[in-house]
Amino acid sequence: MTRILGAGASTRLKLAAALVAIAAAVALPYVVSHYQVTVASLILVSAVLATSINFMAGNVGLLSLGHAGIAASAGYGLAWAALHGFGLGGQLLIAGGLTVVSSFVFGITSMRTNGIFFLMATLALGMVVFGLSYRMAPITGGENGLSGIRRPSLFAEYWTFYFAVLAVFVLVTVAVWTVGRSPFGITLRSIRESESRAQSLGYNVAAYKLGAMMISGLVAGVAGVFAVWSIEFISPASGSFVKSALAALMVILGGVGTLLGPLIGASVVLGVEHILSSYIERWPTVLGLIFIVVIIYAPNGIGGVGRDLRKWRVGRKRRRADPQPEIEPASVSLNDGSD
Amino acid sequence: MTFSNSKWKRSWIGITSGLALALIVSACAPGGASEATTDATTTESKTEEAGSKTEEATSGQAVGSETAAPADPTVIKVGFLSPVTGPIAAIGIEMKQGWELYWEEHGTTAGNFVVETVYEDDGGNPDTALSKAKRLVEDEKVDVVVGPLAANTALAVSDYLIQQGVPNFHPVTAADDITQRNKNPLVIRVGAMSGSQPNYVAGQWAYDQGYRKAITLCSDYAFGWENCGGFVRTFTAAGGEIVNQLWNPLGTPDFSSYATQIASSGADLAFIGSSGGSDGVNFLRAYEDFGLADTIDILGNCCLLDQSTLSEMGDVAEGLHSVTYYAEGLDTPSMRTFHELYDSEYGGLPSLYVANSYVTAGVFSEALTTIEGNEIDPEGLVSAARSVNLEDTVFGPRTIDEWNQPVGNVYITKVEKRDDGKYWNVVEETFEDVGQFWNFDPDEILAGPPYDRTNTGQQ
Repeated sequence: MTRILGAGASTRLKLAAALVAIAAAVALPYVVSHYQVTVASLILVSAVLATSINFMAGNVGLLSLGHAGIAASAGYGLAWAALHGFGLGGQLLIAGGLTVVSSFVFGITSMRTNGIFFLMATLALGMVVFGLSYRMAPITGGENGLSGIRRPSLFAEYWTFYFAVLAVFVLVTVAVWTVGRSPFGITLRSIRESESRAQSLGYNVAAYKLGAMMISGLVAGVAGVFAVWSIEFISPASGSFVKSALAALMVILGGVGTLLGPLIGASVVLGVEHILSSYIERWPTVLGLIFIVVIIYAPNGIGGVGRDLRKWRVGRKRRRADPQPEIEPASVSLNDGSD
Repeated sequence: MTFSNSKWKRSWIGITSGLALALIVSACAPGGASEATTDATTTESKTEEAGSKTEEATSGQAVGSETAAPADPTVIKVGFLSPVTGPIAAIGIEMKQGWELYWEEHGTTAGNFVVETVYEDDGGNPDTALSKAKRLVEDEKVDVVVGPLAANTALAVSDYLIQQGVPNFHPVTAADDITQRNKNPLVIRVGAMSGSQPNYVAGQWAYDQGYRKAITLCSDYAFGWENCGGFVRTFTAAGGEIVNQLWNPLGTPDFSSYATQIASSGADLAFIGSSGGSDGVNFLRAYEDFGLADTIDILGNCCLLDQSTLSEMGDVAEGLHSVTYYAEGLDTPSMRTFHELYDSEYGGLPSLYVANSYVTAGVFSEALTTIEGNEIDPEGLVSAARSVNLEDTVFGPRTIDEWNQPVGNVYITKVEKRDDGKYWNVVEETFEDVGQFWNFDPDEILAGPPYDRTNTGQQ
């Protein structure tokens, strides 16, 4: 109830924040060094992948641990096609085809699952993609990966590529936001709130989940294509469990269901991994501590801090008169942070 | 999560975790590492100063080199990429030790140059490795990149460095293709032999010893495929028979099923192409538990019985044979110096990975002394390194072929117990001047696909 009432105000705030962020982002290449722009591009690519997970986690309440697998299948499609002399159109067609196929497999396998079972199903499928890329050495190059891929000439330069990724990120975010606000998105959220009620109202829950996975997978595929372009290389590590898990952690860190949560999460994780690691040898410890601190003090993620504070202030005033219901253990924190 | 906790409790938790964070962060900035990186990040105008500071910091025992340095040597900046965090950190750290050790022994002056190293951690991840390589090239303006370790990170980084025209020295990475199908005048492998190279010797030696039926167990990824590929090609070419090939996934915790298959295979030799690390230790455990010693002979690759894990294996390893290009029990002057140096600095016996970087630093230093003037031409540096002829490295004599791949000794080694109770690999037999194609025609090998589970080198 509060969610619907508060939506207008918080949406305007988010939109303003997004505009400020875009302005800052456009100015970035003129301010910082070449290398830092490269890291910024990597952050944006990861943010797109995190957005695809966030779409499922925020709207359907299902956290995936296998989305890097979808991204990697798109990436391998692109890389393979590029190395076999296909033009840009052909490369994107193959990448797109593989994305659709893998998203469909992900969707059809997991559409009747829930919570932890969805997590396990996506994890398993992600591992299948990883295993295939590892084993099918004649096609994927195995552990050695595929090198020698080049970006399209339109954004061959590091800063043009940055702008391309930035545009893609903004487009994807707006698209995901629009879908989330559409009747389709509202239905997804009703499924998140109560699957049995949605079913009794006549919704085909499994089909909606499949549809959501196809959309989410498409976004992951876009991330996969740009990930290959950003490092001009692909290896099984691109589809590994670690990659999927880190992307999911980015979502949790940034705030499940928040618009810019994926970007915030990606910035923190990659900032530590790529920049802080040059100065502090034990950067994984720092990353772990950040996770712990966020989970304890900002359970709705960094992007959800503002809402947490508002809730807390209001809650403190009202607590005695109208105690807030405790969150039922079954829904864990997954469903908690979304609006 | 609700906010029903009392305010007091919250602030208490806040203070403690804040303190813990501060402690950990301050403890996390170890002297050496942060010093090197801080030095490296000073602005261009301070490069000279930073260079001499690094020299002071790293030359340590070799104080003399500082006074002997020419008046105005040119600083050559080396970016050293290795995974000192993540799943392969143990090897990454040893790799870094070898590089540091060399400059401590010899000082950082080589010819007209002073070597300044910027260390970076790639976490064993290609994305990170590439972005770190970009940082080294674009922000640090390094003249050469040494590393990284894992094959996928190495190939991703090489591809980028070639585009940037920056030479790339590989100390440890064994992927065949770096100096075969992806050969490039800017990329040179200095320390390690390629995945298949020493194992061509293994197959030939096994046949000559009278073995006729072999079973193989190799790691199920490129390195293992290449190891087995080398062994199988020469063993079957000589007339031996491969009764079965087993492939264990990287990080196999339990080798029981492989041990029973090996025991019941009817073969008279098992070739084990291990990736080293915990895989080697776990295999040896199963080898002991299932009493394989009584049923079959074992021949390990470079890494199964390497010093990095040999001490964890204990008595069971004694007497086992390996085929490798590094035997820490080799009795040469340079090996003795290497042992003393490593023992005084880190304690214990140096592993293959330390040796790889140590030799890379040696070749690099030697190449710099042959360059006249203060200009470094990227391809010139690599070709200078290629022409270095080292008579006495810890690997024995070494040269580098026209593919930028080392040619040198391959040893058949045996694990023996030293007087001090430690185990080491001593040389039983030496094969000299082993090249990456053994005695095959390079075109014939390159005409086929790279080794994998379907192309196992079977003749």
